[in-house]
Amino acid sequence: MATVQQAVIDFHRYPPIGTDDWRYGFATGKIRCLETTMLSRATLLDLANAESFSAAMDLLSSTEYSAGGAVESFAQIEELLLQRRHELRTLFIALMQDPELVELLRARHDFANMRLAIRRVVTDRPIGLDYSDFGSVPAEEFEEAFEQENYSRFPMYLQEAIEEAVLAYYENKDIRSVDYAIDRCEAKYRIRTSEELGSVFLLSFYRVRIDLTNIRTLLRLKAAERDERDLFLPGGFVEIERLVHGLDLGYEGLAPLFFATPYYEVVEGGVAYFTTEQSFLRLERLCEEYLFGFLRTTRSITAGPQPIIAYLLLKENEIRMVRMLLSAKNNGMDAKLILDRLGE
Amino acid sequence: MLENISATRMEQLQLRRRVELASRGHKLLSQKRDEISRQLVKIAGELKPLRQQVEKELLETTRRFMMARATMEPEDMAAAIDMPTKQFALTIQFASIMSVKVPDLTKDISGEIMCYGFSTTSGELDVALRALERAFDSLIELAEKEKQAMLLATELQSTRRRVNVLEHVVIPDIQETIKYITDKMSEAERDNTSRLMKIADIIRG
Repeated sequence: MATVQQAVIDFHRYPPIGTDDWRYGFATGKIRCLETTMLSRATLLDLANAESFSAAMDLLSSTEYSAGGAVESFAQIEELLLQRRHELRTLFIALMQDPELVELLRARHDFANMRLAIRRVVTDRPIGLDYSDFGSVPAEEFEEAFEQENYSRFPMYLQEAIEEAVLAYYENKDIRSVDYAIDRCEAKYRIRTSEELGSVFLLSFYRVRIDLTNIRTLLRLKAAERDERDLFLPGGFVEIERLVHGLDLGYEGLAPLFFATPYYEVVEGGVAYFTTEQSFLRLERLCEEYLFGFLRTTRSITAGPQPIIAYLLLKENEIRMVRMLLSAKNNGMDAKLILDRLGE
Repeated sequence: MLENISATRMEQLQLRRRVELASRGHKLLSQKRDEISRQLVKIAGELKPLRQQVEKELLETTRRFMMARATMEPEDMAAAIDMPTKQFALTIQFASIMSVKVPDLTKDISGEIMCYGFSTTSGELDVALRALERAFDSLIELAEKEKQAMLLATELQSTRRRVNVLEHVVIPDIQETIKYITDKMSEAERDNTSRLMKIADIIRG
């Protein structure tokens, strides 16, 4: 696999998102309509401040997240949210004109399935059938392929991932090595394919995601007092040397380290909250806000795949937020903690 | 008073030995009861803050885990915790407190609790698992102490019952029986004396 080159940060706030593609005129129009039905920030804050779970459900009664009657258990809500996510992904596949882009976005499910399957194989556990259906490879094929050790039916990027993950595991017999190897393969695949497809938007998006994952990894490694320096993903805008250097610094030195990057505010806010609360809630929120801020720049695109991909990702996040808020309300969690995660 | 007792000197001697034994047993059991009470009060004093600490730690762990679970995709969460790498073994040995066998738990923990990669998991999951790891020590200590307290309380209850039976039933009954036998034998003695005096009067007359 070719080594991915690190990019130079040549933008101020968000990287470029590419230009219009008029084949997506109808699809973009439809997405613009659907965007108006998304939950507003005010609604999410009202949910966070709702007195009880039933009050929160009442607030959602006029939205697509309405349970349509009394909620007997939280599993009912989980089921509803999974159904909404399924509908969203089906809509996304229907609206996209380029199957290569769909495959690239579906690959995350393939990698997630692969991660689970390899972990089970190397630990001699049953491979099972509980895999995501949204990958390019059907979930039922995993069991057969792994039992026969016939990986030729998988796409090349998955075959490479299998080889690297199994090798990584047998080097030190650490189950986490499987995840690290697959994460690396996934990052390389995304960058390489985005470059091959000539998608400026996806290339920027994946690089930003890699950077944010690396920043979170840096802080998580420091919090766990681990000194592994080869866990950062390649292909982001931020150089890996800078991240490795961050492992040698104290918490107070992390924000200045990222001063020249667009992630300064993310690191500064996340580290400050972590040192006082021993929690990653704010870092994760700031990472999300940055990423979704980037996705929202696709509003300047009149027609193209960018708004559709952005809608998919923003809507998936909305579903996650609704799950988080309802779960927090159902378990009587403190509103302050919810607001720390959601943002004031 | 005991039933079916023959008022003989032999029986009286046996009963005197029994009452002496019962008194000695009563004294020993009273001492055991006092010592168990002392130990129980000591453990109960440690239990309350320990339980509060464990409840606080577990609440914190659950809260963070719930937050992590809610913000991650269900498949990612299932994959992350599907194969735990932390090995946990618990050895139970028994120590003796006033002849009550109480458990002494020793844990043997190996492996890393964070058994997943970083890209698809939440940092809150790390925090939750580390909090759980820290809570293990207090949790095991609490389990050990609560079991000790439970066993000691059961033993205290039965010891107290034995002491009360000895103090209020067995010893008074035997003492009453001894008194009865003494009275009976004195009566027989007086009866015999008066009979001999009567015979002597008849012979003299």
